[in-house]
Amino acid sequence: MTLELRAVSYRYPGYRRRALEAIDLRVGDGEIVGLVGPNEAGKSTICLVASGLAPASIGGELAGDVFVDGVALRGIPVHELARHVGLVFANPASQLSGIAGTVFEEVAFGPVNLGLAVPETVGRVRVALASVGIEDLAERRPDRLSGGQTQLVAIAAMLAMRPRVLVLDEPVAELDPEGRRLVGEALRSLAGAGTAMLVAEHDLDLLRSLDARVVAIDGGRFAVPA
Amino acid sequence: MTLATFVLGGYVGPTVLFAAVVVPSALVAGVLRRVVVGSVLVTLPFAIAVGLVSVFTRPGSTILFELGPFEATLEGADFAARVVVRLLVMASALALFGLTTPPRASVIDLERRGVSPRLAFAIGAVVAAVPALVERARDVRNAQRARGLDTEGSVRRRLGGVVPLASPVVIGSLHEVEARSLALEARAFGRPGPRHLPWAPPDTAPERLARWLLLAGLVALVAASVAGALPTLP
Amino acid sequence: MIRCEGLVYEYPDGTRALDGLDLSIERGERVGIVGRNGSGKSTLVRHWNGLLRPTAGRVLIDGHPTEGRRVAELARLVGLAFQDPDRQLFARTCRDEVAFGARNVGLRGRELERAVEEALGAVGLADRAAANPYDLGPSKRRLLALASMLAMRTPVVVLDEPTMGLDATEIARVTVVVAILAADGRTVVAISHDAGFVAGSFHRVVRLDAGRVIDDGSPVETSASRV
Repeated sequence: MTLELRAVSYRYPGYRRRALEAIDLRVGDGEIVGLVGPNEAGKSTICLVASGLAPASIGGELAGDVFVDGVALRGIPVHELARHVGLVFANPASQLSGIAGTVFEEVAFGPVNLGLAVPETVGRVRVALASVGIEDLAERRPDRLSGGQTQLVAIAAMLAMRPRVLVLDEPVAELDPEGRRLVGEALRSLAGAGTAMLVAEHDLDLLRSLDARVVAIDGGRFAVPA
Repeated sequence: MTLATFVLGGYVGPTVLFAAVVVPSALVAGVLRRVVVGSVLVTLPFAIAVGLVSVFTRPGSTILFELGPFEATLEGADFAARVVVRLLVMASALALFGLTTPPRASVIDLERRGVSPRLAFAIGAVVAAVPALVERARDVRNAQRARGLDTEGSVRRRLGGVVPLASPVVIGSLHEVEARSLALEARAFGRPGPRHLPWAPPDTAPERLARWLLLAGLVALVAASVAGALPTLP
Repeated sequence: MIRCEGLVYEYPDGTRALDGLDLSIERGERVGIVGRNGSGKSTLVRHWNGLLRPTAGRVLIDGHPTEGRRVAELARLVGLAFQDPDRQLFARTCRDEVAFGARNVGLRGRELERAVEEALGAVGLADRAAANPYDLGPSKRRLLALASMLAMRTPVVVLDEPTMGLDATEIARVTVVVAILAADGRTVVAISHDAGFVAGSFHRVVRLDAGRVIDDGSPVETSASRV
């Protein structure tokens, strides 16, 4: 089992009500799970909890546990989380560092932060760029790309951290049709290569094209066990 | 450069600095017009403020004209002019830097020289954030104008527009910073320990020589000034 | 109601966003504007309330050229809702936020109150009237920004990607809003990538490419001719 949320409940800091209630969710090895539901039902919250960023980075109260390949995320420092779960957000531009001169540097940002030796960093970046098909963008300026291309850079940047499972929170919601096509293709390619993914989305066509097992959330709960 | 302007004082010193250092560099980089425009724009509000205050309130014996209870003195005007000249030259130096040095080069360079990666990032991010901020402010202005906010009317009306124009820029930027911080944290940004950068910004021999000369020149100026050996230029 | 004659717009760096565009939209029409990013859609609609001025050609709103008319004045005729609500929300309550535009175009007292209530109700935010805009989620903030423009009661309503990021219920609401506006005799124009939304709510689709109109007809006609 790659990713497992067991009896997870979560409350954001400063809020009284819980955003998630008794969530059980499993993403198997190489499996693609699609998460649908109305806005503010808990899709983003599940993504944050699944990645460990909630509570490790944003605080709040987590009951239950999240496991990745049997390892509990609770207590793992934030900068170690990406090794287990990578999270991609809906807005492409705000995931970039803003100080990288090229796409290569941007994707290298994470591995460099991990203190990896230069050859290892370069290797990871190359693999990450290739896995979403943007090797030809390596020397381009990250702020001069289209929305779809920027999102692919963000995905590659996460992949360079070598997570076991990739969580994507509405990856194409803010993209135009061309961007959706680009990212959809890249995700299909990743799926084909055996990457386990949890994708929260409104775009059912995208989830269908990924052959995703779809689960629906509403009001912080699953109507049907996932 | 900035320090040298202060040390020299007067008009001649800064003007010479400007001509000898800023202008050739700007010409080489092809940014002379932007440097001049940028430094004038930045200095203008200060110049007006300083001018008004100094001209009318500095004690002096030569009275140029009177405006109500205020007397404009030559000494005041002279002081104001000196300050403005210095400000212009300093602004031009900063403009030159900002226009010719890509943020990333500064960030990488700083980190290589031992500055903590987070501080280096912060500096680079602030510089990189400026164009994004300008763009955001422009978008906010467009959106509020489309909602009927009058930005072309009387001053009083325009003052009423400050909150709708400024507030979304600030709040929106904060939200964006929050989102970006989360994304970067996930990429191990806060991790302590050494980082091995696979690249370095280009640093040519002429650039290195120019830097050392400038530094040496500055040291000499300061030393001479302290020793009282600097002639008092007008 | 909206007429563009030989409309040309060039950015300061010389790129031509609009290249001699001709377009005529009658009162009461429902028009979807489609095209790739960079085809000039946003640039076009910003000429209708004066935010942008033509480099050449002219724009007429309700029969009168936009030349010489201030944005604040044109905003009474053409309401333009932008894509990013976080680049305009600033008030302490949703009610105040919605009232902002309406007040700017001259609504007062009872009429202002009614306009605000109706707008909040139309987007389904009546129960959040006293809440702080930033206490709402991102999709509800989009609806709030829409409400703020609706309350201005402009004869022409222009929407920029109104369904982006919205769930099915929220999209349905926007669809209903468009229908109500149309029934009210207002002219509704929407820039949208959402083919389903466009086909369902608009009787006419104008396709732009490289700053010109390359297709203009019913949703079926225009999508059939899409390359």
